[in-house]
Amino acid sequence: MRWQFALAGLMCTVLAACGGSTRGRHLSFSGSALGEEGSLVRAQLARFAAQHPDVDVSLRITPDAANQRHQLYVQWLNAHVPEPDVLQLDIVWTAEFAAAGWIRPFPDTALDTTDFFPAAIEADRWRGVLYAVPWFVDAGLLYWRTDLFDNAPSSIDALRDDAVRARRERGLASGLVWSGARYEGLVTVFMEYLTAYGGRVIDDHGAIVVDAPEAVRALTFMRDSLGEQGFVPVSALSWQEEQVRFAFQNGQSAFMRNWPYAWGPLQDQRRSRVANRIRVAPMPPAPGGRPSAALGGAQLAINRYTREGDLAASLVEFLTAPAQMLERARVASQLPARRSLYDSPDLARALPMPIADIRRALDATVARPVTPVYSEMSEILQVHLHRALTSQEEPSTALHDAAQEIRVLLDRSGLRGAAS
Amino acid sequence: MIARDRQAADTRLARLFVAPVVLVVGATAIVPIASTVWAALHQRDLRLPWLGQPFVGFANFIEAAGDRRFLEAVLHTATFAAITVPIELGLGLAVALVMHRVRRGRAIVRAAALLPWAIPTVVAALVWRLVFDNTTAMFGFDWFSSSRAAWVPIAAADVWKTTPFVAVLLLAGLQTIEPEIYESARLDGASALRQLFTITVPLLAPAIVVAAAFRTLDALRLFDLPYVMTGGGPGTATEPLSLYAFVALMERLRFGYGSALSIAVFALTFVVALAFVRGLGRASHIEAL
Repeated sequence: MRWQFALAGLMCTVLAACGGSTRGRHLSFSGSALGEEGSLVRAQLARFAAQHPDVDVSLRITPDAANQRHQLYVQWLNAHVPEPDVLQLDIVWTAEFAAAGWIRPFPDTALDTTDFFPAAIEADRWRGVLYAVPWFVDAGLLYWRTDLFDNAPSSIDALRDDAVRARRERGLASGLVWSGARYEGLVTVFMEYLTAYGGRVIDDHGAIVVDAPEAVRALTFMRDSLGEQGFVPVSALSWQEEQVRFAFQNGQSAFMRNWPYAWGPLQDQRRSRVANRIRVAPMPPAPGGRPSAALGGAQLAINRYTREGDLAASLVEFLTAPAQMLERARVASQLPARRSLYDSPDLARALPMPIADIRRALDATVARPVTPVYSEMSEILQVHLHRALTSQEEPSTALHDAAQEIRVLLDRSGLRGAAS
Repeated sequence: MIARDRQAADTRLARLFVAPVVLVVGATAIVPIASTVWAALHQRDLRLPWLGQPFVGFANFIEAAGDRRFLEAVLHTATFAAITVPIELGLGLAVALVMHRVRRGRAIVRAAALLPWAIPTVVAALVWRLVFDNTTAMFGFDWFSSSRAAWVPIAAADVWKTTPFVAVLLLAGLQTIEPEIYESARLDGASALRQLFTITVPLLAPAIVVAAAFRTLDALRLFDLPYVMTGGGPGTATEPLSLYAFVALMERLRFGYGSALSIAVFALTFVVALAFVRGLGRASHIEAL
């Protein structure tokens, strides 16, 4: 008798779950939902729902730590779950998700790709097909202090000289701080030095060239800048963005390499000793290289197994429209992925930092390698970069081993020669 | 006939009684181990679904044998156990002897001594990380960016946290030694040191072996302290075997290779456990003499 009650109860639950929505169609979105970003995305989803009265739109909360969100997405999509319908992807995930067949291609006619930053669009293509739409962009910035210098350094040697002099003459604890912990942030810092020295990870033919002489020079510069003889504190080797920001915010460093998010807290006069004394620039070049700023940011993609493909596409279109991007810049200080907006006085008013500085940095952006195995490639680089910076390996050995391991990885994944 | 029927009925009933246990053990122990072995014999990479999930035999184990990071992780784990366990046994014995002598406030002393052991490892790890970060600020030496020095905070936290456990185990052993033995030793003029090494340590041998077994097996599964304190760094200099298996499984999402590494962890602890079981047999033998 009892099991019959249990069965009846179970069926009620199942029926209730199926018939939960009163509005008929349902769409779910997964992305960052913390703080200002969270209230902004909720407001924008509500506006979209108001335009589609028969649709119920929900926000699926996922971990804010990139690694954890990535792991969750991979597990969901491996299990072919139809929700969330629209996913916020980090710029380095798109190729992986596209190659795995987890996200839907966008027909090129669906949007004017020329309006977006080319490096972001390139990161969203796999084998020539567009799989995601850039939502906002991030760029690694060199923060410099206007109370110490008149101009941003024009070359990497000038950066070193300025930083060393600031330590010696102003008694600062450090000249430059960056995020040197063994994590993705370290790879973005390295990408900037690498580009500044004219090096690359993968060349146009898909060959791994991260062990080339330019790369070794870049990593050697990074290592030699560490410690008492240099101008970057050794503790930076266990720092992520926030520890870097604290060090700079306390007035203990002349330069800082960090993302745009740091601008707001640094200008808070109650907590920051450098408020109203900062500007930003790209990483300056070494001879043979170019100014650089690592490209980051978020993309929107559609779950391959969604039941509401057309509706999901219109949500992506809505969220990436100029009006929503401007609002995002105003509320969360996140940089629009559309180039045309940078000519608009609205954006200059919306962004807290000088728009000319930001444009110079965005002109210098460098994308990380576009490959489905980026996460593992990055992990290999993280380990060897960190070993070189903590003097466990010579820069040349570290990069040689990293390149070798990356080649093995591409072989194992059946992607040799098809990395870019 | 009737007797045989009853016997058969009893057997059926007995099987029915045992069935739940067999099911539970099967579902909680045998099935997971078997499926890990099965996974280790396949290539299964969640991030490379286009490769499918082919059977690859021992390829994952062969890859591990040539994987420098894996071999270093084995070395790290073994070295960590070899260094911390003797320190914990020595300190634990000293603390146990002191606790054994305490007459007043015995309960409070014992509870206080056990406190570090009761604190969750992750919390203890964060506190120790903070302690060593502060010494960095004071003396300008950064523990966490040196491949050797980074082990010091990890070992310190482990010793601090697990010495009380050893002490309590050994205290229980001390209480079983008859006071008369010491009395006659004293009458024979044996020094305190002589008493320690000819009476206490031999009679305590079974308890010491048990404590050593627990600590060694725990040390070989080392995961949470480096995960919280160093993330396995700098580079991979403080990465133990369990942490590398975790990285392969949960970060790279290579279920096949990660399973092979998990089996390596299992095999290592199993061999050591076996050695200790034999050691325990010998230690009880000494006591019997």
